[in-house]
Amino acid sequence: MDWTKQLIRYIIVMVLQVLLFNQLQLWGVCHPYVYLLCLLMMPITLPHIADMFIGAAVGLVMDMFCNSLGIHTASCILVMFIRPYLLAAFINEKDRLNEQISVRTIGFEAFIKYAVILVLVHHLAIFMLAAWSWSHIGFVLAETVVSSTLTILLILGYNLLFDR
Amino acid sequence: MQTLLKILQRYSNFLVFLILEVAAFLLIVYHNAAPRSHVLSSANAFIAWQYEQESEVRGYFSLRQTNEQLAAENAVLRNQIESMKSGEIAPNVHYMPAQVVQMTTDELHNYLTINRGSKDSVVRGQGVRNAEGVVGIVRTVGPHYSVVLPIINTHTHISCRFTKNDYIATLVWDGKDTRYANLTDVAAHMVINAGDTIVTSGLSPVFPEGIPVGIVESSRLQAGDSYHTIRVRLNTDFKRLKHVEVIQNRSKNELEELQYGLD
Repeated sequence: MDWTKQLIRYIIVMVLQVLLFNQLQLWGVCHPYVYLLCLLMMPITLPHIADMFIGAAVGLVMDMFCNSLGIHTASCILVMFIRPYLLAAFINEKDRLNEQISVRTIGFEAFIKYAVILVLVHHLAIFMLAAWSWSHIGFVLAETVVSSTLTILLILGYNLLFDR
Repeated sequence: MQTLLKILQRYSNFLVFLILEVAAFLLIVYHNAAPRSHVLSSANAFIAWQYEQESEVRGYFSLRQTNEQLAAENAVLRNQIESMKSGEIAPNVHYMPAQVVQMTTDELHNYLTINRGSKDSVVRGQGVRNAEGVVGIVRTVGPHYSVVLPIINTHTHISCRFTKNDYIATLVWDGKDTRYANLTDVAAHMVINAGDTIVTSGLSPVFPEGIPVGIVESSRLQAGDSYHTIRVRLNTDFKRLKHVEVIQNRSKNELEELQYGLD
């Protein structure tokens, strides 16, 4: 999968994110940020620093749609910083990273560990930064658990349906 | 020097990470304090345009409700004409009709975007209402669109007054239910009954006096408390907000200048 395809997928996912997932109103705690899929599945071929800048750009665009300047940016940079270390911990063969990261390329078990950790980190960071105080911590945790679950299911669903 | 360079090289990834994160945090803090940049928010022309298209499509599915709302608004306007004839409303307040093109209702910091901007002489800090009551305060202004901070955002504080005895209190939202907000600063000696009406106080130039805010749903006073815990049922139905009016108070500048002069 080359970069043009990655970009097209990013645009499609962002349209779905803004028009569909941002409009979900389930119990007030469900905000799945599925756009993270594009960052998670990016191949690790670019320098680490370039990855973090891509994360910042993706987050900034999302912030413009959500009126939350900086929050998605900070969370995406964090995710892109952790990502290579996490992958190195779960898989050994460095050469497999030339292709995109998915269930097909790194195996179900490794991918699910990788995705769960990064989605939780990303969502927790977003909701904590949005609350900007400890007084809503219970609400923030509930929001993180519910939203992350849905995001993880959607990312897995995408992998199983469109990337075989 | 050599060692320093080596260290810098070794930790360059982490350094870039830190710099980027600091930049992002500055953005968050800056935005929370005073969001001046309309380009980086939904007052941005492209993003607001996209939301407007979406809300247009959505509009067809709520035509019935919109009609009812417009009818109600007409009634209010007729009342205003009547009271204007008797000279009760200050003529220096101008209502600019606007439409909500985007809004969130299920977060702690909800925002809404309206299709009026600096070209329609909308200015940061102007009040926004609809036929039912107070909606919020204009936060960020772009040329054609503005972002409004509604009552249902935990940052919003609105000065209110009880109609029965003119007691002043502050309305804040607790982040939970869009139909309710809380009144703070009401001292324990006040007698509060369910059903008391709350309107804007007119103490700040943002809202003229007497715009309906809500009705007291319940009040609680535990032994030892010096303030009531008051739950207010809001007049405005944020889940179905579509037509609003920006309140352009012509005497606002004069009032503010006078108040700043005192400081």
